[in-house]
Amino acid sequence: MTAASRVLLCECAGTMSANIDFGALEKSLAAEGGAVERRRVWCGAEGQARLAELAEDGSGQRLVFVGCSGDSVAQRFSRLISQGLELAVADVREGCAWVHGDDRVAVTDKALRIARAAVRFPVTSPRAAEVRARVDSVVVVGGGVAGIATATELARMGHHVDLVERQPFLGGYAPRIGTAYPTNDCGACLPTIEEQSGIRKCLYRNAAVDHPNLAIWRRAEVESVSGDPGEFEVSLRQLPNMVTQDCVDCGLCEKACPVTGPDGEHKAIYSEVFDGRVRWAVDLDNCTFCGACAEACPVEAIDFTQSPKLARIRAGAIVAATGCDPAPPEMVAHLGYPAESVLTQIEFALLLDDWEERLWLDKPPVGEVVMIQCAGSRDLRRLPYCSRLCCTIALKHAIRLRELFPQTRVTVCYLELRTLGVEGESWYTAARLAGVEFLRGSPPRVEFDADKRPVVEVEDVGAGRKRTLRPDLVVLSTGFVPAADTGRIAGVLGARLDEAGFVAALDAKNRASETSAEGVFVCGSASGPKSLVECSIQASATAAQVHGYLTSTGRRRAAAPVVDAARCVGCDVCTGACPFGATSLVERAGDGIRPAGLRDDAKLAVIDERVCRSCGICAAHCPELAIAHSLDDETLLGRVRTLVEGADHPVVGFVCAECAGAAFSLAGLRRDRYPESVRLVELPCLGRVSALHLLEAVRLGAAGVFLAGCAEERCHYRSGDQSAAEQIAVARELLGEAGNPVPIEQWHLCAAERHTVGRRLRTLCAHAEKLAEVNEASDELVPVGSGEESS
Amino acid sequence: MTAVATEKARSAVAALAERCRPCLQCGQCRAACPQGLDMAEGPRRVIRLALAGDVDGLLGCQDVWRCSECNACTKTCPMEVDVAAMMAEVRQLQRDFGGPRCPERGAARVAAGLLRHTKTVDGVAFGAVMATRGFVPHDLVDAASQGAHRIARHLRRTPRLASPTNESTLFYAGCALDQDPALKKSTLSCAADLDLALGEPIGAGCCGHPAAASPPACLVAAGSVVTACPACDRSLAAAGVATTPLWQVLADAARRQGRKLAARAPRFVPYVGCLVDRDEALARLAEAAELAGVESVTTYPSLHAGCCGGLGGVYRGPSEEVLALVEFAAAEHAPIVTPCLLCRDNVRSAARRRPAGVTAWFWPEFFRAAPETSEQGGSDA
Repeated sequence: MTAASRVLLCECAGTMSANIDFGALEKSLAAEGGAVERRRVWCGAEGQARLAELAEDGSGQRLVFVGCSGDSVAQRFSRLISQGLELAVADVREGCAWVHGDDRVAVTDKALRIARAAVRFPVTSPRAAEVRARVDSVVVVGGGVAGIATATELARMGHHVDLVERQPFLGGYAPRIGTAYPTNDCGACLPTIEEQSGIRKCLYRNAAVDHPNLAIWRRAEVESVSGDPGEFEVSLRQLPNMVTQDCVDCGLCEKACPVTGPDGEHKAIYSEVFDGRVRWAVDLDNCTFCGACAEACPVEAIDFTQSPKLARIRAGAIVAATGCDPAPPEMVAHLGYPAESVLTQIEFALLLDDWEERLWLDKPPVGEVVMIQCAGSRDLRRLPYCSRLCCTIALKHAIRLRELFPQTRVTVCYLELRTLGVEGESWYTAARLAGVEFLRGSPPRVEFDADKRPVVEVEDVGAGRKRTLRPDLVVLSTGFVPAADTGRIAGVLGARLDEAGFVAALDAKNRASETSAEGVFVCGSASGPKSLVECSIQASATAAQVHGYLTSTGRRRAAAPVVDAARCVGCDVCTGACPFGATSLVERAGDGIRPAGLRDDAKLAVIDERVCRSCGICAAHCPELAIAHSLDDETLLGRVRTLVEGADHPVVGFVCAECAGAAFSLAGLRRDRYPESVRLVELPCLGRVSALHLLEAVRLGAAGVFLAGCAEERCHYRSGDQSAAEQIAVARELLGEAGNPVPIEQWHLCAAERHTVGRRLRTLCAHAEKLAEVNEASDELVPVGSGEESS
Repeated sequence: MTAVATEKARSAVAALAERCRPCLQCGQCRAACPQGLDMAEGPRRVIRLALAGDVDGLLGCQDVWRCSECNACTKTCPMEVDVAAMMAEVRQLQRDFGGPRCPERGAARVAAGLLRHTKTVDGVAFGAVMATRGFVPHDLVDAASQGAHRIARHLRRTPRLASPTNESTLFYAGCALDQDPALKKSTLSCAADLDLALGEPIGAGCCGHPAAASPPACLVAAGSVVTACPACDRSLAAAGVATTPLWQVLADAARRQGRKLAARAPRFVPYVGCLVDRDEALARLAEAAELAGVESVTTYPSLHAGCCGGLGGVYRGPSEEVLALVEFAAAEHAPIVTPCLLCRDNVRSAARRRPAGVTAWFWPEFFRAAPETSEQGGSDA
């Protein structure tokens, strides 16, 4: 193996010569059996030219670069690497020479071990997964403003889009809330497509959602999803509208209908003039199918022979735009809701419209209105979070109310007004100027006096006294919760939910439009309450993400671990551990290789290389050691042995190649000194570490062990840090049983915390050394695992 | 304070602050507090002072002594801060470090003085309890214990009830009921009319409030007991004894038997002070009014009608709220009816301040079972 390697030794222009004896290093590496080429500097023009030559000489030799860190190599040789150069890197600069003192012998020994580990234990080179074209079609679930905007944007980009809405009418809440922040006009505007003039188009007008690429499924629900990311098959169930396109909007059917729904809102055949296309629909939950409407219809547009339809459509990607709902009544029961004189802001929006109609009466319908902000929100027993929208909604209504009826007293009880930005603040100012009273203080409950008039007791925090308000009307600014069906739809789509039940974003900062399920995206309030502006912005973002996903031809170079059928017992541990759902259990072929004595019906784990991101968590968890990661146990343990064996009180560090790796290589550039007893092993992710590796490090004589991964809960592979924590707990337990107090620490580091690396290492080394000395002095310590575990 | 005491007080306040870190300063605690209107600053500001580490501000804060430990603040806190416990700890802080500024010590001094001349209640009995529990300046201990002995002698002359039997319900009224034979008689006869046998633990003594002492062992052994005082409820709950309010037992008995009630007056003003189950108690009073065919007047000047004045276990005069309530009852020509023994006495004290009398009745004094033959529950007052 080593003969097939060529070591490229770099002196980095003499910057490492103070503590590394390159002559000795070269001699020792040559003794490994491969060719060694030593240069004063490899990244200069001459070195680069030689490297290009080596890359193309066709010898198939593995090139091991011994010099600076992987990050520096990637930067210095970026041109050659982009042309296909593959270099294995042994970092003797940032990870050795630059961070250690002048003990030339010790530092040279460490550099040799680092180079030797890279030469002797190569990592299987990852290969690109198979490229398969994705179906050029998207299913958007939810026809609120976010869903419509995403769908029209994607249609405009040339993709086929199926927009699936549960209700007969599109628009969701936007058309129901009157005028809206921040533009003070109606909430249902959409951007125009190229073929249309103007910059916005009204949802109430037909053409707003017209596009040849866009198919709209009203009254339809996603029943199930099968297939793989990029080629989903989506089953839809669509209820009939009963009212056909022949309808002339005369409304005679509604007059004839004898049935009113249980909430008294509308008849069993009804109209909502929200999206221009469908104006009338039959409420199938309440209709008694008496036929009165059909008889009354002058154009025979009511067809009761229609029946539910099932459809299966193919899609490359799915967008969850299921929206949010106002908090349920039980969240605000303590505030007297529901009652005649206690409304939510959504209900109040409709009431304001109604009042506006009756403005000619010239008498305010109410004398005093109290609005209660954070109603049921920011409360650990109800909704613990802030819904972001309620403050601006209340401001809008308060201003409008004062403008309609200047005699009406409006008091807003608030805790904090969250009206961010230039627009938001100007609304707040406008409300104060309009004469709205702002009272800082949150009422614990709303009660009613003998005349059924609401009584609100509240501490006026600003004035430092308790006040009793007796308004005619209380309006609750309730928070928002995930739409009723979010849990089911997320389950069908395989997307995770956050703790509040919204669809969780894949990464809150960088991948807010993607979900935990590959090929499933999220938009709008489905991932948390959002204003119309935010919905519109995210619709464009999501559409761009989906477009990128559908048109992408490259696949990440992830070498999926391989399951050894001769060892796998189908125990299901890996499927539970995989953060991406790439592992699953399948039936074993009857005549295949299998472990001896395995039950007949035992299954076999398989890893889907198109979903796998190659973190190695499955391999760390497999109790049968049946999963071989590209950095397999043999290589990993071999590297640890090469670095550690025979060293004086070594401290072994497993460092992930992401955030912590960056912190370490940046710390190296800072030249933070730490003892050369530190031995670093780089991993793709901390999740690759198993208790076995930790125990082996201790058995080989490690005086201390640390695992450095990404910042808290920011693992690039979602759960590598938790996996590592579990493995540490197991290792500690086993070591504790053996009475071996070797310290094992887990560090969360991001690149910004590079300045802490040196300090952490110095402290740990001092601690580990002290402990080791105490142990050695107290007894003749038997290393853990020297017995059975070493087998 | 000595430097050591200052340091101790500071670290005690730091520990308090640790426990109210989540506080949003929303003011729901004060809004929910039956004493909220009477307070100068309220629990929210007490927490603010603790968070700011203002030892002097906390030691000088009088509002903590207005707390009747009804727990309304703790129950309403959206951030689950135990506000009532905070208030209690600040009281302890004042006892420990507040010196002459501590009003409890002052109140105990007053109570000890009163004990020498008075043998009726009005909360003085609580003063006696406090005196015997050590919340008095040393020089007044003798006088206080003399007063306590006088009350004890008085109690010995009061006719005793039989011990509770298996059939009877164990009823415990702490220090209050024993001292008023008339109240005791009407309570027991009201219960008897509703076929409810109340048995009393003889010589049980004080419930332990407000000195945070243990309640009588016989009650702890009994495990559950009927009470008519929130102070008793609190002490007993701390010792793991389940309590049922008397008003609930009586109302249940009436309802179970489908009995009509008779009332002393055709209309009354219900008052429930700081009772933890305020809504429930008010609802049961309204139910009793309906059974008796009398009117319950609830158009109060303010919603909770505040605390009766039995603050922190020491009666220090009526609260503004109760004075307003008495005026309101006088204007309505209706007596005040309460399901709490403490409230009844303290409201009576407040009523004595105005020339035209307003009566305050305990639930079983005001209501009793109507004669079986009687169709209507009218007034016989």
